[in-house]
Amino acid sequence: MAHATSIQYEPVAEIGGGAYGTVYKARDTESGQFVALKSVRVQTDQNGLPISTVREVALLKRMEQFDHPNVVRLMDVCATTRSDQETKVTLVFEHVDQDLKTYLEKTPSPGLSPERIKDLMRQLLCGLAFLHSNRVMHRDLKPENILVTSQGQVKLADFGLAKIHSCHMALTPVVVTLWYRPPEVLLQSSYATPVDIWSTGCIFAEMFRRKPLFCGESEVDQLGKIFEVIGLPPEEEWPTDVTLSRTNFPPLMPRPIADFVPEINEQGAQLLMKMLTFDPLKRISALNALEHSYFQDEETLTQKKS
Amino acid sequence: MARTGFCDSKPLLDLHKKVDERRAPLRTWANACGPIDRRQPIADESRMATGKVEPEHRWERRLSMQTSEGIIMGFHEDSRTHTADGCVDEPVLLYPHGLQGLHSLQALVPSLLRHEVEMALEKLNLIWDRTFAWDMFLDMMRTQTWNSLPNTDLPRHFTDATRAVLVDWLIQVHEMMHFQEETLYLAIHLLNRSLRKIQVTTANLQLLGMVCLFLAAKKEECLLPEVSGLCYLMDHTYTKHQLLRMERKVLCGLKFDLSFTSPLHFLLLVASVAHCSAKVVWMARYLLELSLLEGQCVVFQPVQLAGAALCLSRQVLQEPPTPEGEAAWCLAYSIHVGSETVLLRIMQILASAAARAHSRETCATFIKFSGLETMHVSGHPGLKNASSLLGICT
Repeated sequence: MAHATSIQYEPVAEIGGGAYGTVYKARDTESGQFVALKSVRVQTDQNGLPISTVREVALLKRMEQFDHPNVVRLMDVCATTRSDQETKVTLVFEHVDQDLKTYLEKTPSPGLSPERIKDLMRQLLCGLAFLHSNRVMHRDLKPENILVTSQGQVKLADFGLAKIHSCHMALTPVVVTLWYRPPEVLLQSSYATPVDIWSTGCIFAEMFRRKPLFCGESEVDQLGKIFEVIGLPPEEEWPTDVTLSRTNFPPLMPRPIADFVPEINEQGAQLLMKMLTFDPLKRISALNALEHSYFQDEETLTQKKS
Repeated sequence: MARTGFCDSKPLLDLHKKVDERRAPLRTWANACGPIDRRQPIADESRMATGKVEPEHRWERRLSMQTSEGIIMGFHEDSRTHTADGCVDEPVLLYPHGLQGLHSLQALVPSLLRHEVEMALEKLNLIWDRTFAWDMFLDMMRTQTWNSLPNTDLPRHFTDATRAVLVDWLIQVHEMMHFQEETLYLAIHLLNRSLRKIQVTTANLQLLGMVCLFLAAKKEECLLPEVSGLCYLMDHTYTKHQLLRMERKVLCGLKFDLSFTSPLHFLLLVASVAHCSAKVVWMARYLLELSLLEGQCVVFQPVQLAGAALCLSRQVLQEPPTPEGEAAWCLAYSIHVGSETVLLRIMQILASAAARAHSRETCATFIKFSGLETMHVSGHPGLKNASSLLGICT
């Protein structure tokens, strides 16, 4: 079995460390296509593959059947034994050369056009709405795992991996960027799908700025940078189940988002602030964001023209 | 009847001899699915509207080729390409017909159905939030079309009889483990697919069956059996190591795709919308479980199997019709997908399976449904000549 995988997929290059292990670019010797190989090592006990892995990978497989345009294709899954205690699950994804980070870096001055940003955002939110409607949250959304094909199609990658890896994660502390993390994660409160919306908001701003919005160096520093923009939230919105107290932060007032993202239009700024809402329950959902007037005005304009 | 070696492990689970002592309660949420009292404004309105009409003409079955019923027809597009018998399936739709002034009621059917489906899903504890109920139902209808197999072909050295013996044994193990009913349906589905995807020798057939049940349990159950316990049930014919190796083999063969829309969900859903009596539901569940033993049934969609089981159950039990019951049944019946021919074919397969269930070697299901908790449905005299019953009705 182990051989079957390595024969079919011939590694070409290492493409990233990633939080969950090495990712390889490989060639599918059957089709000649390039693929991205992500291997997860899971502890196997006496009862075989852990339930969580079986369920999560099955969920990824099930979502694959819907063939969503804004989600990276999962082409194959293999399980191989490494030892009695460890099984390697290899997920074979389609390979897309470019991620949003390099796409933004490559864009010449003065950056992306407002129409292009709107298109990217719509695709990003479509993919996210699809994940969320399937009870999958990404948890680690950032420009590096948003892929942009040469045709400009957005594809979300690395979703759902967080859960498969979670037990592994606890064992190996890895440096994961804090810049796209929402306050509830930084405060170690409970969290759900709104985490991805916060990250999307940060990325939305970054598309205009071409540099990250909040570049904190630690959890507290990251929170401080966030409050410099959105202001210190009121006492009643501060989660009660956290150790970090609200009094650790200076009482800042929210500042106009245009100070940080000058090129954004009024509707865009409105939507951005709904995404960068401190209270996850009040944060806009992916589906509602797609309905926002920021996306609608373009359509109505073209309708009027025709 | 081909006997294979693994039947020798029967003494370990001798479920056949002591029918009454060994009856274990079927632990499932679905047990509570009896007639449901609903007092809904929309439903009442429709019943009032139909109340004035002569009973025998009020609802008539007919085939509909129309696509105007957008909501109900939504999922038919996918199913049309799926053919069980080579011809293009046309959706069967039942709706009030042949009456003047019923246009408003016809227009009401989709929203009425939607409402009833939402209520039923909630009642069956399949959803937490009613806002998503209809989407979930449409999703079930769409995904279930992927759960039928293209043909009944088995690998050369296996026969339907061998398969039936294995399924019968798995039904016994499943019952002994007190697993959920869904786990059984998923296990048999995984088995059907694995048999076609991976190569297994006859000697390893029992191991494959057990692994499918184990994987189904990993997907559905909260409490898992120990691998060593499973090996014990197979009389230590295989080692733990072999079992875990087979688990990986099956997972790789199926590419980790363990999704399945269980026919049982459809059965309970339709039965709930149709306000079926507890006895009709138990009878239908018995007939549906019998379908697991029939190799020919793998080509049918879950919703078709569930619909056929309920139709046959009603015909066998012949409960006196009530106006409300008939109206609810007609509404529920519009969930059916596929041609009338397919429906009848499944009903015939189930009827003949039920007629000989008591005399077959593979009678775990017959025994399971013979007890008091299941209202003795498998012993119902009507099942003996159920096939001829179908002949008269068509």
